[in-house]
Amino acid sequence: MRKTLAYLGERALLALISFVVLFPIAWMFLTAFKQPRDAYSLSLIFEPTVQNFVTVFSEPWNLGSMVLNSVIVATVTVAIAVPCAALAAYSFSRFRVKGRKFLFFLILSTQFIPAVVIVLPFFLMFRQLDLLDTRIALIIVNLAIVTPFVIWMIKGFIDAIPTDSEEAAMIDGASRLRVIKDIVMPMAAPGIMTSSIFCFILTWNEFLFALILSRRDAVTLPVGLVSFRTERGDLWELMSAAGVMITVPIFIMALFIQKHFTRGMTAGAVK
Amino acid sequence: MKDRLLPYWLLIPAFIIVLATTIYPLAYSFITSFRAWDLTKSRRPEGFVGLDNYLYAAGESQFLNSLWVTFVFVITSVILTVVLAMALALLLRRKGPMHTFTRIILILPFAMSPALIGVSYRFMFNPEFGVIANGLGAVFPALQGVPWLADPQLAMGILVLTDVWHWTPYMTFMCLGGLASIPRETEEAARIDGASNLRIVFGIILPQMRGVILVMAVLKTIFALKMFDQVVTLTGGGPGTSTETLAYFIFNVGFRWFDMGYASALAWILTAIMMFISIWYVRMLLSERKMATA
Amino acid sequence: MAEVRLVDIEKKYGNFLAVPKQSLTIHDGEFLVLLGPSGCGKTTTMRMIAGLEDITSGDIMIKGERVNDKPPKDRDIAMVFQNYGLYPHMTVRQNIEYPLKLRGMSKVDRKARVQETAEKVELDALLERRPSELSGGQRQRVALARAIVRTPSIFLMDEPLSNLDAKLRVTMRAELKHLHHELGVTTVYVTHDQMEAMTLATRVAVMRDGKIVQLDTPKKIYAEPADLFVAGFIGSPSMNLIDGAVQSGVFRADGVELPVDLAGCKGVVLGIRPEELDITEDAGAAISGKLYALELTGESTLVTLRNGPSSVCARGHADFEAEINSPCHLAPKDGARIHLFDRATGERLR
Ligand SMILES: Nc1ncnc2c1ncn2[C@@H]1O[C@H](COP(=O)(O)OP(=O)(O)OP(=O)(O)O)[C@@H](O)[C@H]1O
Ligand SMILES: [Mg+2]
Repeated sequence: MRKTLAYLGERALLALISFVVLFPIAWMFLTAFKQPRDAYSLSLIFEPTVQNFVTVFSEPWNLGSMVLNSVIVATVTVAIAVPCAALAAYSFSRFRVKGRKFLFFLILSTQFIPAVVIVLPFFLMFRQLDLLDTRIALIIVNLAIVTPFVIWMIKGFIDAIPTDSEEAAMIDGASRLRVIKDIVMPMAAPGIMTSSIFCFILTWNEFLFALILSRRDAVTLPVGLVSFRTERGDLWELMSAAGVMITVPIFIMALFIQKHFTRGMTAGAVK
Repeated sequence: MKDRLLPYWLLIPAFIIVLATTIYPLAYSFITSFRAWDLTKSRRPEGFVGLDNYLYAAGESQFLNSLWVTFVFVITSVILTVVLAMALALLLRRKGPMHTFTRIILILPFAMSPALIGVSYRFMFNPEFGVIANGLGAVFPALQGVPWLADPQLAMGILVLTDVWHWTPYMTFMCLGGLASIPRETEEAARIDGASNLRIVFGIILPQMRGVILVMAVLKTIFALKMFDQVVTLTGGGPGTSTETLAYFIFNVGFRWFDMGYASALAWILTAIMMFISIWYVRMLLSERKMATA
Repeated sequence: MAEVRLVDIEKKYGNFLAVPKQSLTIHDGEFLVLLGPSGCGKTTTMRMIAGLEDITSGDIMIKGERVNDKPPKDRDIAMVFQNYGLYPHMTVRQNIEYPLKLRGMSKVDRKARVQETAEKVELDALLERRPSELSGGQRQRVALARAIVRTPSIFLMDEPLSNLDAKLRVTMRAELKHLHHELGVTTVYVTHDQMEAMTLATRVAVMRDGKIVQLDTPKKIYAEPADLFVAGFIGSPSMNLIDGAVQSGVFRADGVELPVDLAGCKGVVLGIRPEELDITEDAGAAISGKLYALELTGESTLVTLRNGPSSVCARGHADFEAEINSPCHLAPKDGARIHLFDRATGERLR
């Protein structure tokens, strides 16, 4: 009797947690498909429409260009940060060189620098160089937050790989670089993939830099949300439609790495 | 001989990035923090003013307010997140279809853009047509017509709520990782010895999780100190200045009022707080490690 | 021609001295076995030869050339790792093929060579599997195959047979012996198993706490152990070591009285191998006590008797039977070798 009660209680608790997690997301998805008048009612019964998506992709909102900006900024940031970080992570993980601890700590400690500190000088510099409101500017500042984090993450993954196979390859006649290419990278591939997606999510959702450094041309999706706040009030149904556009690709990626996620996090954190 | 230098070659690309994107701006804003520089008046920095910017901050009520707001925010959100994450992890570590499902969807809040979270909650807490505001009003008549985001305390509460909603999943994953690394035998031995569930959690599991909990608390503290996105999209710092966090205040000083010198000084104060906490963190972690190996 | 010389090499891990300063020459074509208890520095020594571990001081010479600064790939060695070191993302075939590929061998030649090697180690049926789908013994054979697939100037093998079942171990041992005979490649081989050491080695180096305590042919090491440690370590069951004293040419301990070739000395340990003891009915025999245990090993019976603190083991006839706790007597066989060691220093006296 007590057992069934505990069992039911646990199920109920899990259901409640799932509800709390999913409800805000579900509500946003529902709203995105509502007509404006339904959006302001609380009814669950409505005639679904894709009109909101059509609206946000047309003038004056032009969500399409924001999607493009977000995709380009996030992709290029990942493409630069991950390879550089992977090499550095390998070096930190495998070589006992002088000053290694200090360098690693230095790189990690940059994680603790608030983004506002970084963005101030960059704002001034980009103004001088006429780079404000460009994707390049966003990529550069995004590298600042993402790179140390990815080094840390990939190092965690590489640390978890035993060195035996690498040593065997060196004896079999491979040079260090060959070892990295033939042995380490394939073995670390799941970790690197996870880190890349993580890095993509981070950049994709980045708000502060984009808010300050973009105005019209380089606006990314999260900042685009703010533009639905008009004199006529907040246009919730359009915001929700934009929100769906922001979340769907990220949700797919996140679910993809979910399995590796826990391991990567704790490996890096506890070591 | 080439091989000896390889470790350094591998570090160089990443190091250049870090140097250029963080160390350089850090140094730049450090110098700027000792200058007067009103961007609306001059394109170039004006003269050095010594510690004036810092001294000004010490006496400015809006800065002190933002410090207090940040403090309240950090304390509540860190405690809530860590405790909830721990409890969730203990619940979710068992096997079962519902457990697995919950674990999987738990990644969604973390993947969601914080700016969007702010917008969503603002919508849901809208007194007229917000689903949560109305839902609560329907269930608890006392809560009908509460002006959620227009009330300073409630606005702060909702800000914390959005942050807890966003971060608890991630912290739960960390906890789950930590729990997985505890040898099962200790728990099983205690169970055979006849310890109750509660005793096992508090006497066996939590003591072994100290390291992980510490890391979580510090990571969460660091991120909470930087709280910015939801402040912009949820409350706009208001009502009044009741949810104006330090990061948001610095943003205002720098990019609304364009007082670069003062903004730099404030940014450095925030940096100093974070550095202090991270050094403290490293020391705690090291002593924890020593205890663990002893 | 590949002679390996270790000259005054030393290895420290931080403050921990894993291998103290010593020298060792491994002759061309020799099969040198490193034998010693766990943690005595066998793997470390081998890794220094391979170039996987920096040496703290000293020189390593291969073919007369100093190779301290040469990376492993330029030392022309093949190695079998204690924990295999397989490439988990490659199939068995790709694992074995990889060293050949790095050396630019053509695809056709590679295929033939892999096939031939795989057959030698009985892996030909598993070539398309990945290491994670293999048992421990099968993984070890892949590691072995990867080393013997090419002909390097030196083989390094770190307990290459430790995870195989008894039968396969004997087959592989013969295979290795044959391979060595055929190729004549200088080989350094680490093992815990004395049987392997005895059967394979040209010379055996017995190590303790990083130091080589005796370096000699298997025969010599068995017959004339340099000290107590080697005496106790070599042989199975191990040599009987009895604490006592020598007075006017007679060694005495509880229940033991044996004339020896030594005038007089306190604190002596007498050593005699179980194979060199006979079980007798004679109550005046050299060693007497109560029967403590009987263990049938198949071809013989191990007889252990006790008297006070000392226990002595003898290898008797497989048919031997007696009551536990009944009185029992042992006498050295004719021409049995009696070893005497100094208890304090462990050194050999006679
Ligand atoms: N990387 C290292 N750091 C510190 N100490 C080490 C390291 N590698 C080995 N040691 C120590 O050096 C000693 C020799 O180790 P080694 O691996 O050579 O032993 P071994 O003879 O191969 O033992 P086994 O038979 O168990 O494989 C051991 O005491 C070991 O603890
Ligand atoms: Mg070893």
